[in-house]
Amino acid sequence: MDIGTVMNTMRDPAGIPAPVELFRILMIATWVFHIAFVVLALGAASLAIYAFWRREQSPYWTGISIAMTKVAKVSVSLLIVLGVAPLLFTQVIYDPQWYASNVLSARWAIAFIFTLIVAYCLWFAFYYGNKEVAKRHIGFYAVIALLLFLLDGLIMHVLSYQAILPGQWMGWYAPNGELDMSGAHLHAMQWPRYLFIISLSAPAVGFYLIAYDDYLKRRRDQNPDYLAFARRLGQRIAQYGLIVSLALFVWWQFDNPASTGLVWLPGGWAVAAALAVLLFEVTYFRDRLHGYLFLAGGMVMLLLLAIWREVIRVAYLAPFGYSVVDEKVNADWPSLALFFLTVAGIGGLVGGFYLTLLYRAGRVEGVYQADRTMSAMGTGAIVILGIWTGVFFLYGIAIWASNALTY
Amino acid sequence: MLGMYPTFYVPYIGSAWVMGIIGVIHVVASHTSVGASFLFAALETKAYRDDEPQIMVFIKRYGVFLLVFSYIIGSITGPGIWYAITVASPRGVSGLIHNFVWVWAAEWVFFTVEVIGVYALVYLIGKVDKLTHLKLTWSFALASWATMLLIVGILSFMMWPGSENWYQTGSTNDAFYNINFFAHLGVRTGSMFVMAAVVGFLVAAGIKDPDLKRSVVRIIAPIGLLGGFFSVMMFFYYLRTLPDNATVLLNSYLVPQYGKAMIFVFLATTAYLLFVWWKPQWLKLGIAVPMFLVISVLGVWPEERMRETMRKPYVAGQYIYSNQVLARDVPGKGIEGEVDKIAEKGLLQLHPFIPEQLRTITPENKLQVGEVLAKVACANCHALEPGAPLRNIPDKFHGATDEDLIAAFIGGPLKHGAIPYMPRIDLPQPEVDAIAAYIASVNQNRPKAAGDEEAGTPTALLEKKDN
Ligand code: HEM
Repeated sequence: MDIGTVMNTMRDPAGIPAPVELFRILMIATWVFHIAFVVLALGAASLAIYAFWRREQSPYWTGISIAMTKVAKVSVSLLIVLGVAPLLFTQVIYDPQWYASNVLSARWAIAFIFTLIVAYCLWFAFYYGNKEVAKRHIGFYAVIALLLFLLDGLIMHVLSYQAILPGQWMGWYAPNGELDMSGAHLHAMQWPRYLFIISLSAPAVGFYLIAYDDYLKRRRDQNPDYLAFARRLGQRIAQYGLIVSLALFVWWQFDNPASTGLVWLPGGWAVAAALAVLLFEVTYFRDRLHGYLFLAGGMVMLLLLAIWREVIRVAYLAPFGYSVVDEKVNADWPSLALFFLTVAGIGGLVGGFYLTLLYRAGRVEGVYQADRTMSAMGTGAIVILGIWTGVFFLYGIAIWASNALTY
Repeated sequence: MLGMYPTFYVPYIGSAWVMGIIGVIHVVASHTSVGASFLFAALETKAYRDDEPQIMVFIKRYGVFLLVFSYIIGSITGPGIWYAITVASPRGVSGLIHNFVWVWAAEWVFFTVEVIGVYALVYLIGKVDKLTHLKLTWSFALASWATMLLIVGILSFMMWPGSENWYQTGSTNDAFYNINFFAHLGVRTGSMFVMAAVVGFLVAAGIKDPDLKRSVVRIIAPIGLLGGFFSVMMFFYYLRTLPDNATVLLNSYLVPQYGKAMIFVFLATTAYLLFVWWKPQWLKLGIAVPMFLVISVLGVWPEERMRETMRKPYVAGQYIYSNQVLARDVPGKGIEGEVDKIAEKGLLQLHPFIPEQLRTITPENKLQVGEVLAKVACANCHALEPGAPLRNIPDKFHGATDEDLIAAFIGGPLKHGAIPYMPRIDLPQPEVDAIAAYIASVNQNRPKAAGDEEAGTPTALLEKKDN
């Protein structure tokens, strides 16, 4: 059967509950945050390990190792939650591709979960042991954890990549006509794509270190020499890392099949240009630019990458006659309102309260005393949650009751 | 053509158990974390009002423990269940996503806030003023509960919408606030306090200071007991909100199989909570760890398997069968049922992922085709290996090797949808015969074990209580 027709039939018959472009934007935008924490976690974890083995040489390395271990720990939590959103939105508009790809490598999709649990637990074991004085063998926990994280990234990559190669699905599912329902294989990977994304861990942790210096500078209990060391280290890592990333990106550009014409599109070169600009800045303006600016620049680059991934997906799927643009829409406004109001009210106020509190508390020595704004934010967070819950129940009971009556 | 996916087949335990295992871990971890957030709020309120800062030491310990136990494991197994349903039942998960994407997205907002919140809660103890921290903890508790509010509507829709309205309107409102939503929410809300108390005891068991131990335990234990009581009451109400197919399964399979274990867990948990309330100093790790394991495994596994099983033959909303076939029309979404189309044309013609040479049955490929069809049409709920734990088909036919007898069952009760908890699987005769030939051949070749039952009639499918 023609796989293009098959894909169009596999679309969920329920249609999608809002215009497709809305989902597409959300899918791209939320993935930016996921991948930002992926590369930060991987970069911080690698540096934590490297610094761990060098701790004899200087106490600064010990400091770096401990700090980066924490950064990796928190980043993994965040990359997981932040992965959920693009996972959701991808499935809304690319359901046939995502599900087919997952089923065809089902054991790996499941293994992804278990290896991630093991890796993260190992990372915590490393974290609890990685103090001023630490046993050397805990370094191995960290190495295994990092390798497993990299494997998980590879599985993610394979699932994404297989999804855009529908022409090969049947061949993977039934090689020589023999059905294989075991889901035991990873069928396709594109090394330059995977390696390029992973290589961004270097600039990510590099920029983070520069920002780390700018964030802690104000605190008098921090040693300025240590912070300067961290900043220099960050600059070097970012600089070399960006050169490698740029090279890998160019490789990826020429690895896509010529028939897609992708290499002629400006989108890909925009990513390369962003990398080049960052490289230029970190080489020539390393001390003049604030660390937060580098982080922001990095996010812009990731956004361009996220858009570029979507352009690639569209280009790979177009020859099969598949485009999300002709998705059936069955609009559902109340639940859409639920989401956007929750983002604004809960994400904005409650999330904002937590982040601001963490940020401010981290910058003072001793106990942080909330000022009037902070205090109002705290009260506001509880109030908004109370209102949200109240509305949830009142609205729900009304609908439930009217349905129960017709039952 | 039908929009079906390739199949993922797991021998012996089926993809259903893979999901069950991940599900149990997730339920334990997530219920504990939501319940614990309220315990924290209650404890911290007391610490604040009565000026008992040592309670914060307990919260910190419990919080750090939770970070690993609930947040790592809970937050990974959450998407984990999703991945597991994805590969086991792609059209099921797709149906849910396409109905509830905004609800899930809203849950995700809470979830993100919660993860940031748990770090803030744990690491800011003693680093910010007490009142601000108390606000943090209460908002964290409410946000945590909201994740439960949002997911339960989706889970209970999987059971059924409970009225005809949703099929006509297709509206997320009608799907979400379904007939068993509030009952289900009550069961989970109550039980999360039990889980949190039991896990809290794990942490409290390690406290050295006897006064602190007593004051903590005496707050946690009654909350756990009340939660448990509430949960049980809501469970009885929940049973009243189930569809007929669920009631049949419940009475014929589930109560006999799991009833005793559930009563045992209930009694054991109540006794445990009462005892520790009475004698806090007797709480030691040697008691707390085994009790935790017993309650979480014996309590949650039956509950999850029951909910999963009672939903049969559907995966979602009584419109998608477990075997991925759309069971009925949903005019509100423009969805058309597929059972009759399959009856007319057959799976071999309509399923996109069948190799071309298997689309027509020949004497040479008949067994192979039968196996593929059995995997596609039956294996979502049944293992195909004799002796396997997931309701295996060869044993369900009592080892029958008579093709006609097997075919009579498939072409009889199954074709007409006469068994309330199995999909109506109406296939053209050649496909029926291929499946029958395959099952008969499996039984023919099965290793003969002593005490194997005589080949019986397939009506045994209705009676055997080994679901
Ligand atoms: C250590 C853990 C993880 C790593 C290293 C990782 C890494 C990656 C990488 C490298 C990609 C890009 C793949 C490509 O474009 O070729 C990616 C994409 C993605 N990841 Fe992750 N990830 C991890 C965990 C997760 C988790 C837990 C989730 C979900 C909860 C998730 C959801 C996603 C999604 C939805 C995509 C996009 C898929 C697509 O667009 O086709 N990831 N991840």
